[in-house]
Parts: sequence; structure tokens; C-alpha cells
Amino acid sequence: MFRRERKRSDFNAEIEAHIRHESERLQEQGMSECDALAAARRTFGNVTRAEEQFYESRRWLWWDHSRQDVRFGLRMLRKSPGFTIVAILTLALGIGANTAIFSLIDTVMFRMLPVREPQELLQVGVQDAQSPSDEPDSWFSNAVWEDLRNRQNVFSGIFSWSRDRFDLAQGGTVHYVDGIFVSGNYFNTLGILPRAGRLLETADDQRGCPGAAVLSYGFWRDHFGGAQTAIGSMISLNNHPFEIVGVSSPGFYGVDVGNKFDVAIPVCAAAIFDEKNSRLDNRDSSWLHIIARVKPGVTPDQRKARLGVLSPQVFAAAVSREWSQREQQFFLRLSLVTSPGATGLSYLRSRFEKPLHILMAVAGLVLLIACANIASLMLARAATRNREIAVRKALGASRSRLVRQFLTECMLLSSAGALLGLLVARGGTALLVRYLSTEKSKVFLVFSLDSRVLGFTVASALLAGILFGILPAFRSARVSLTSAMKSSQAFDSERRIRFRPARWIVAAQVALSLLLLVASGLFLRSFVKLSTLNVGFDRKNVLIVHADLHTAKVPPEQWLMVFDQIGARLLSLPGVVSLGRSVFTPVSGTAWVQTIHTDWSRDLRGNAAQAWFNYVSAGYFETLRMPVLAGRDFNDRDTNTAPMVAIVNETLARKFFPNRNPVGKTFRIDAPPTKQSPPIEVVGVIEDSKYGSLREGPLAKAFFPISHVPRHGDSEDFVIRTATPPMSLASAVQVAVAGVNKAIPLEFSTLTEQVDDSLVQERLLARLSTFFGALAMLLAVIGLYGATSYLVAQRQTEFGVRMAIGAPQKSILGLVLRDVVIVLAGGLTAGACLAFASLGVLQKLLFGLAPHDSFTFIAAIGILSGVGVFAGYIPARRATRVDPVVALRYE
Amino acid sequence: MITQETKNRLELLQGTLDLLILRILIFGSQHGQGIARAIQQTSEEELLVEHGALYPALQRLEARGWISAKWGVSINNRKARFYSLTTAGRKQLVKETTKWKRLTAAIGRILGSRAERS
Repeated sequence: MFRRERKRSDFNAEIEAHIRHESERLQEQGMSECDALAAARRTFGNVTRAEEQFYESRRWLWWDHSRQDVRFGLRMLRKSPGFTIVAILTLALGIGANTAIFSLIDTVMFRMLPVREPQELLQVGVQDAQSPSDEPDSWFSNAVWEDLRNRQNVFSGIFSWSRDRFDLAQGGTVHYVDGIFVSGNYFNTLGILPRAGRLLETADDQRGCPGAAVLSYGFWRDHFGGAQTAIGSMISLNNHPFEIVGVSSPGFYGVDVGNKFDVAIPVCAAAIFDEKNSRLDNRDSSWLHIIARVKPGVTPDQRKARLGVLSPQVFAAAVSREWSQREQQFFLRLSLVTSPGATGLSYLRSRFEKPLHILMAVAGLVLLIACANIASLMLARAATRNREIAVRKALGASRSRLVRQFLTECMLLSSAGALLGLLVARGGTALLVRYLSTEKSKVFLVFSLDSRVLGFTVASALLAGILFGILPAFRSARVSLTSAMKSSQAFDSERRIRFRPARWIVAAQVALSLLLLVASGLFLRSFVKLSTLNVGFDRKNVLIVHADLHTAKVPPEQWLMVFDQIGARLLSLPGVVSLGRSVFTPVSGTAWVQTIHTDWSRDLRGNAAQAWFNYVSAGYFETLRMPVLAGRDFNDRDTNTAPMVAIVNETLARKFFPNRNPVGKTFRIDAPPTKQSPPIEVVGVIEDSKYGSLREGPLAKAFFPISHVPRHGDSEDFVIRTATPPMSLASAVQVAVAGVNKAIPLEFSTLTEQVDDSLVQERLLARLSTFFGALAMLLAVIGLYGATSYLVAQRQTEFGVRMAIGAPQKSILGLVLRDVVIVLAGGLTAGACLAFASLGVLQKLLFGLAPHDSFTFIAAIGILSGVGVFAGYIPARRATRVDPVVALRYE
Repeated sequence: MITQETKNRLELLQGTLDLLILRILIFGSQHGQGIARAIQQTSEEELLVEHGALYPALQRLEARGWISAKWGVSINNRKARFYSLTTAGRKQLVKETTKWKRLTAAIGRILGSRAERS
């Protein structure tokens, strides 16, 4: 209901009337007019107070007070700019780092795709019915996809897609763009609109299609200047022409978070690249992801039931008769499952989930330490403000009002810190993405300040403000009036006592920063161990040249000859020491695994009987400096007409030829029941080396002559040992290859780079945790320094007196340092216990050392105590320089 | 002389002023000074009401909708703001009175029993 606001004058008139009534009554009783008025006023009491209460009752008093508090807070902060700046910067860094990591987690894990009704999307996966606890696999062969698409009645829409990269350059150094294969209803199901032209439709994705391309908005803008004429023109992808039919809407980057697409082409176009035995027909090749949209009216239970019926039909239609009996049985047992797909798919998610959570925890701890620092600064400040507080109390400020005033100042600080922190976070996220990216796989993420990120920032600012404000606020409210009003600052025993919480804070800081230092030490040492690991080959000065004869449309029967020609030309280049060739290089992410058996390995089955293959040329081992321990290296006589031979590594020799010299003996590759593989003679043994990743244990490896490589569309790598920095040879190599065939696309990299790129996660953790660890240590040390300085300043008079009556400087030094050492020792002990108890979670992310590695612990404790004592020593020295006369003059 | 008088009077318990105001107004509308007078007289000069304290209470009761106010003219022909009880105020008065009676009865029982024993 509407209520009229009562005016102040109205209220005053009422009071006036009251007093007149009262005085008239008293006059009737016989008082004089003057006395009656005075008496009436007396019985009324304090008029001003009544007016004030009336005034207060009308408004939101807290709002008024808050405004006063803010104004006063701003004035106080402006009065001590040093403190304000340090506090705000510390908070900005702390909140910024937290926001950056949170926004990365948010973008990778939680953000919904910018498509129509993303919450309706489902990720289709496949699971072995016998082990339903396993994470579903999300890769499908085209045969499964086509059959599922044709048969399904479960979803309102379904599409498949796959990521790839396409070479725009027609020969010479490659120019890759990010591509996706998409089924015909991809854009339609996602509800993406064209920005120009049209998007791909079902009609574009039919077997034998000519190929059509849709560009992403960003690629269209950057590469074609956003020109309308781009529509209808041709673009060369892997040396095949595609017509550009349209551009997708801005802000859509595909459904895999962490990547973008530049060009989308229909799934059917895979046949254009692959020609014979294309990915469309190859049932061995699981290369597609499937996403579906829920059908209105189909409940999750119904969906599950219908997929249960559908699965055996789909897998029966897509099984391959080429597979072994066991493989076929396994395949037929599979069933289709769905999981929420609103956030799309991201390899970053599984790969970086744990590291990101650890970094989040680390950043949170750093913020906590920063809060502790500000809290002790505030405590020190509160002590100097004692008189101000005492005066306000004497004037009638209530305790809650004082606390609120203090907290308001804290909120001002933390809001300023949060605002600045958002800027820090922007830089931080860019840096994080750079750390996650490698030359070959660039991470692409779009960050936006959504409500979750903003909420996080606001919440952390609030929490920080309360954390560092609550203690000083309550302590200041407890200021005793009498002692604060006294001017003497000398042996004020209360002051010493008040200092105690600051010592607790510093000890807690030391404990937390020790925890972070140990963690960063563990990550750093793991990283160093991995990057200096003996990998079994010499990665320095090796240029890798990836040559793709398939895209250059060289007929497979000529490949061997062309590769030999190129090899001969490259070898004659100045600066080339030696060269070899292989189907892939170590630690490149490619693997070729098959099971083998020998007469002595009958009891090895399944995974235990697996061997990791590679096909290499003569000169490969020499170039990578992998010593042949027994037998011989490959040579020019190992041609495709000569019998297949193999060089095995020590692990394979030990496993499959126990206690025997394998040279001269044979093994067989397990093949489908229809084929019988010939025995392969072992001609040499080489030392163990890394194959897929630096973290792997010893694997059984077998190398075959590259002349025997089964040809199906794979390209090969040259490895070239160079006398000069490897990349300096790139242009000479390009000229030499062009001399053989101009159309061959070449991709250059170095083996060092390739090995380093495999350590993205380790490097990220090592770098960031070291940064945060150092930051934490710095903050803790500043805290210690500040607390000690404050203590020294407080006790200046006392020290002066001590020295005046003859205490040596040493004893003063000892007095101060004793306090420092007690705080440090307490903090370090607590921190070491904390680290010992909690760092077990890091186990899986470490390499070559345990989470309670004693060296790391001792080093961290050593560093922190050294720096800590130093930080305490500086103010302690100052204490000994106190001039007794000056100190006592204060009295 | 007035200070002497004040010392002998009872101070109001917290929160009872509202109840008294509502109770006084049951006999019809009244202005502030009249209410103050009425409290003092009805209590046979036992209760002390600082007149100034009355107004915030009136303000509060008005804000809650238990009383309403209107400017009028008093018997001695002066302008005054007259307060009267609303329906909600009447209900509130019943509720508060019952509560108060129960409370005093209970306290009385306790105090009474102790007196018997001693």
C-alpha cells in the first residue's frame, strides 16, 4: 500500500504541540508560563534525540552508514597510499591468478556450446557391455556411423564429425589449416546459420561427392577479407579443389573445445583424399565422433532401451570379417550409450583436468597467503590507529559499527583488487593457452566473462576481504579506551600481547608456502628428470622432414624410387651428416602395435605379446645414434624383394627370446586366421629407446626395413642429422625436394621440439607451480619481514633502555632473531607435516620420484629457512642500531 | 524537585510502551501528550514515561499499521496529531495483552512461591 512520506517539519510541529499542551496543563495547575514551559521541556526529555530517532526510522540506516563508511574508508586508504597500493596489487595478483585458472577450467569443462539448445545434445559413445564401468569410447568407423544414421529412431537429429588438418599449399612447405569432416546434417542439427552463402546439407554428403567447403567466419575474414566473391570460388585442400559454398556464423568454432575449424568439408570427401580403401570403407579405421539431439517425448529410459535394441543390429552390420574371431566377438558385444554433450568434446578435458585442479588449489593457497599478508599489514595499521578508534568509541561508536567500518575498508581493497585482477586474469588466460599449445597443436579457446567466472571473482574478492579483515576488525573493536588514550607508547604490555596473532599468521604463511614450494620442487624435478632422461636416441641436431607423396599424387609403386631419389639429393647437401627414413619418428604420438609370437613365448598372450613396430631405412639408427648391440644394421640389400628381416630391441629380445641370442632366430606376427604370416628373421639387436612417450616403461620394439612397409596412404619422415642448427637446412631441403617433384608437401620440425612438445603438461605444472611457489615464498617472507619490523619498531624504547643499561648488541640481535626462528620453525614443521600428508595426490603427475622425496623437502625447508632468517635479520640489525638517547627521548 | 520525583517512579520495561499506547488508544483517538498523561494517570503516577521516547514508539506503531494518525484540534483548541487504533492494532493489543498476562502470572507465581518458602 502506498504510504505518504512524513515530513520532518510535520514531526517537529507535533512535538511543538505536545510541549504546548503540557505547559498549558502545568499552567492550569498554577505554574508561571515560563516555569511551565521549562518543566514541559524537561519531561519531554531530549528533543534532538527524538528528532534524530524519527529521522533514522524513516531511512535505510545501513545504507547511510555504508556510505559514510565507504567515504571514510576511501579517506583512510588515501592517507596511506603505500599500504593501499601494496594491498591492492597483492590482491590483484592473487585474485587474477585464481580467476585466470578458473576461467580456463570454466571454458574447458563447463561452458555450453554456442549452438541452439546445447543442453539437448548427447555425446554418443560405445561401451563393452561386460565392463560397464569403463569410460565409453567415442570413436566410430564410418560403417557404424552410416548404419546408425539410417537405422536410428531415438534422436531428433544426429551427426558425425572428425577433426583433421588440410594443406592449403600445393607442394613445398605445408600450410595447414584446421579442418573438420562433418556429416550432412551437422550444421542443421546444431542450428548454425550461414553468414554468407549456404552451409553443408545432406545432399552434399553422399558417396562419390565432389566435395564442398564451408569456411568459418574467422577464416573467411582473415583469409578472404570477408569478400562475398569467395563464395563459389575454389580452395585447394591437400591438393584437391573444393568449392566454397558458404561461411558459418561468427562465434561458432566447432564442437571440440580447445580447437577451432577453418574449413568444414563433408565426411564423404574423405574418399577424395584417400582414394583406394578410404576411411569410408575401412572398417578398421575409427575416426568419427557422433553427437545427437534428444527427441522430444523420448525419456532417458526409453532412449536407453531403444539403443539397447539398436546396438546389436548396428554392430552386426559394421563388423569386419577380416578380424580375428575374438575381435569380432568383442565388437558384436559393444553397445551404444549416451552422455550429456552440451559442453562438446575436448581432449583438453581428460588430459588437463587434474593438472588444472591442482593449479587451482595452488592459486587458491597463494591467495590465502596473500590475504594473510594483508591481514598482518592491517593488524599493524590497526595498532597505529588505536587512538582514532578510541576517540570514535568515546564519541559513542558501537562495536559493530567499528567492525563494519573496518570491513568496509577491506571490501574496498578487495574490490579494487578484483577489478585489477580481472585485467591480470585476461593476461593470465592468454599465457595459459600459450603454455598449453605446442607448435603442432595450437590450443584455441574463447574466453568470456560469463556469470560463472564473474561470480567466482566476486566470491573470491568477498572471501578475501573477510579473511584478511575479520581479525584486525575485531581486534580494533577491542581497543581499551584508557590505554589507547594515554600517549605513552613505552612498555605497553598490551601491545606485545596484541602482536601474537600476527605471529600465528606469519607461521601459517610459512607453512603454506613450504607446501607450495615442495609441490613446485616435485614438479620441477619431475620435469627436469623427464627432459634430461636418457631416451635411447640423440635428439639434438635432428631435422625431421615429413614428406607426403600421397598428397603429391605419386603412384604408390613409385614411392620407394622417389624416396630414394630424395634421400640421395638430401645426403649431398652441405651440413647434412647422415640421414634415414621411417614411417614415423619417436615420441610423435603415432604407434603401430601388433602381437607377435616365438617358439619361446607361448605363454605370452594379449597385451603381454604386443610389440611396437616401426619401419626404418638404412642410416636411421646411425642418424639417431641408436647403437646396434648385436648383429647388423639394415643396409641397401634389405630391399622389398629380399626376405623380411627385423632388428629388435633388448626388451623384445629378453621377453620373446629368454636367455637366448635372438640374432638368427625368427618370430611371427599374429595375423587373421585367414592369413599365415611368414617367419621373420632377427638380424640385429639395438638398445632400448622411447617410442610413444617419455613416461613409458621399456617396450618390446621391432624395426623392419622400410622397403617392406605395407602401403596404404601413409607418408614417411626423413630424419636428418645436421652439422648446423637443424631448421637452417629447411630451405635447402625444400629446394632439393622440389628438384625431384614440386608437388610434394613438406613439413619441417626438429626432434628436440618433438620431444619437448610431449611434455606440455609437465612443463605447464613445473612452470606455473614454480611461479606460484616463488610468489608464495616471497609473500611469506615479506610477511615475516613486516612482522619483525613492526615488532622492532614497537620495542624500540625497550631496546634503547636495554642498551642504555649495558646490554650488548648481540643480545638485542638474539632477542629479535629468537622470535623469528620460533615463528619459522613452527611454520616449517607444520608445513612439512601438511606437505607430507597431502602431496600424495600428486603421485601420478610425478616422474622418477615419490611425493615425499626427501631431497625436495630438505631443499625447500633449507631455502625457506635461509630466506626467512635473512628477512628477519634485516629488521633485527636495525634494532641493534637503536640510539638509546633517541629511543628514550620519546618518553 | 522533579528529579526527586523521578527517582521514586518505575521505569518502563523494554517493549511494554507499545502495549501501553495501544491500550490507551482503545478508549478513542488521542494525541501524544494526552497518551503520555493517560499512562501516567492510569498508573497512578507510578510509571515514568519520558515524553520524548513516546514519539519513536508512535512512529513505529504507525509504520506497522497498528495505529493511524490524523491532524485535528484538541479540546483547548490547539492543533495536534491524533492517533487512533486500527483493526490490526486491536488484534495486536489482544495478542500482546494475553502474552503479558501469562508472563506476569508466571513471574508472579515464581516470586510468590519463593516468598512463601522464606
